[in-house]
Amino acid sequence: MKDFQTLIWLDKCSRLFERFNIDYTALRCILQMKFTMDARRVPTVFHDHKPKEGNQFLKSLWMYALISLMLIPFIVIGDAYFYQMSFMFSVLMFVAMLTMISDFSTVLLDVRDKTMLNTKPVNNRTITAAKAIHVMIYMSFVVGTLTVIPLLVGLFHHGIIFFLLFLIEIIFVSFFILIFTALIYLFVLRFFDGEKLRDMINYMQILLSFSIFIGYQLVARSFQFMDFQFSYTFEWWQLLIPPMWYGALYEMVLHQQWDVSLFVLSLLGLIIPIIAFIIYLKCIPSFERNMEKLMAESKGQRSKGRIAAFLATIVSKNRTERAFYQFANRMMNSEREFKLKVYPSIGMTLVIPFLFFFNEFSGESTFDLANSMFYMSIYFTLLTVPVGVSMIRFSAKYEGGWIYRVAPIQQKRDIYTATLKAILIKLFVPIFLLESVIFVMIFSSRIIFSLIIIALTAPIIAVITYLMIHGRRLPFTESYQGQQQSAMLVFPAMLFLGVFAMFHIILTNLNYGEWIYLFVLLIGNVIVWRLAFLRV
Amino acid sequence: MLNGIYLDVHQGEIIGYIGPNGAGKSTTVKIMLGLIEDFKGEVEIFGQTVRTNDPSYKRRIGYVPENAEIYDNLTAAEYLAFVGSLYGMDESQIATKAQQLVELFDLEDVYHSRISSFSKGMRQKVLIIASLLHNPDLLFLDEPLAGLDANSVMIVKEVMAQLVEQGKTIFYSSHIMDVVEKISDRIVLIADGEIIADGSFEELQAQNEEGTLEEIFNQLTGFDQHEQIASSIVKAVQDGERQ
Repeated sequence: MKDFQTLIWLDKCSRLFERFNIDYTALRCILQMKFTMDARRVPTVFHDHKPKEGNQFLKSLWMYALISLMLIPFIVIGDAYFYQMSFMFSVLMFVAMLTMISDFSTVLLDVRDKTMLNTKPVNNRTITAAKAIHVMIYMSFVVGTLTVIPLLVGLFHHGIIFFLLFLIEIIFVSFFILIFTALIYLFVLRFFDGEKLRDMINYMQILLSFSIFIGYQLVARSFQFMDFQFSYTFEWWQLLIPPMWYGALYEMVLHQQWDVSLFVLSLLGLIIPIIAFIIYLKCIPSFERNMEKLMAESKGQRSKGRIAAFLATIVSKNRTERAFYQFANRMMNSEREFKLKVYPSIGMTLVIPFLFFFNEFSGESTFDLANSMFYMSIYFTLLTVPVGVSMIRFSAKYEGGWIYRVAPIQQKRDIYTATLKAILIKLFVPIFLLESVIFVMIFSSRIIFSLIIIALTAPIIAVITYLMIHGRRLPFTESYQGQQQSAMLVFPAMLFLGVFAMFHIILTNLNYGEWIYLFVLLIGNVIVWRLAFLRV
Repeated sequence: MLNGIYLDVHQGEIIGYIGPNGAGKSTTVKIMLGLIEDFKGEVEIFGQTVRTNDPSYKRRIGYVPENAEIYDNLTAAEYLAFVGSLYGMDESQIATKAQQLVELFDLEDVYHSRISSFSKGMRQKVLIIASLLHNPDLLFLDEPLAGLDANSVMIVKEVMAQLVEQGKTIFYSSHIMDVVEKISDRIVLIADGEIIADGSFEELQAQNEEGTLEEIFNQLTGFDQHEQIASSIVKAVQDGERQ
């Protein structure tokens, strides 16, 4: 194992650890092992699973530096410190918190530690210290890269006092996030089992990937609407919003407003992390006990799949196809990796159609959106299909795929059609329906006919993208390792969808154009679904 | 879960520790290793209580856990170096010893590969090496032969026999009765948290008038319905067919 720079720095404090009855040699050894493993773990912000050379963790820090650029506008836009800095801390805390939960859960919750470390001649204090230091080092790397540029910008723009306040508050904020994350785990583990927690972590990861994308879009646009010129007024609910605690200190010190409310807010920012820390210390023993739940098997409820079972009967009369439909459905439900790779993109397809006319909407107030052709942007929701299809070949438990070869399946095509139907119903239909309802409200019921046409292109796209991406290869039979990134496939798919959309737009301008197109699509569907996968 | 386990273990014995699933075998081992601190009663190892903040008694213990839990994104070399130094060995000593053992266990080709790419048997070999690296006096082995091929099984069994000759003590838990029967100097059978048999295989045989350890196990745990259950299973399988 290589020697890490961080450890060499830590060596300087070895005396201090020894004084607290911590076995520094063992501590160092554990940290070295943990760092080596971290370097090999691919963080969520990368969202890409190619095995790569080098320290994955250090590389991912660039991503955080990039994200930190998002914070700069809040700092430089004016001197309404309370609101600006509260916004800034909201973003900072949000990103740091999600990172902690999504990427560092493996550290806090590594169940192997108990059997691996506690059986060795190392005392508990050392193990606890090693974990705490590990998390703190990680945290300081992430928060450090997130704030180094904003700190410098603050220094040059607002001067040294601003810089010092910022520095102190960052330390408290990190502390707050750290303990708050740990308390969330404590809470979840107390009331739910390990599977629930893993699911929760999975959803946090999805949220992180999604919000990084959406964050850019919104922050960039929101400045047109935000007016930072208003001055500070106190409202009681501000006490409940942590970023505001940290914003208050700037207002107080830099504007020399020695207001009681500001003082209380600032004080909360210092006291709450300390109280949380005390609660946390008190809870550690129960945390350790509940950790056992992660190792234990979940009891598991019977799945409520009544709706799914009903849909299955509608989807197919063929028993094999029905079985594979339900199988694909359940796999998509339980496969965390699949969700992590697919759901963020699906979330984007929900937002992108609006981004299209967002600018028009805000620019000219006279613009007649309701009668425009902008509803065609709903074609972007069709991206759910290629995105879902692109990942369907992979599974974390791909070894289970032998079942396809062993089972006496008469027609292999049932497997493909069933899986595609599952993708359409699970991923495309809900998004499209939701979007359609909103669009009908914006554009009136005149677009319903067009929406039906758009919906009919989805099954055709499903079959074609499956054949293009996977050929004849079966779903859920290959490892995620070394596969293409889904985003790479989205761009060709967009082009492809663009062709469909162009056709549609041209035909709407002809008499009976849409009717002819509808007819063509219906026949197209029948042909594609009949002929595809026929000779497998 | 445990309920009156009184057990005196002497140096130089292989103790076969057996019992049905959920009888409390792993719990006993976990208590002795200090993984569970919340228990009533007294456990002493090497004449020292395990209820102490001083974990140095673990220096003389080797452990192979049951589920092959291992930090598998490390390479075998890194993992062994890590475990060795936790036991307080110095690096050059670990390196030479690990190298020798890895060659003897036929793992030298994958010594610098990540354990996550290993087969079940290869992982098991790494765990066995890790448990022996620091030359412990007491070994806790939980299904140590799982996943090993027949040749490796013979090697490990022989290693255990020779270690015991050297005065080491081995606490061996397993569900494979044939092996326990052959290698153990003494067999301890627990059920529902209690010891229900304790003695050499010959002694157990004399007490129970049964031929093999498997039969003794069935008799003592009060399980005599295997034929009935089996025929019900066969019946259920065939019923499905007739429809």
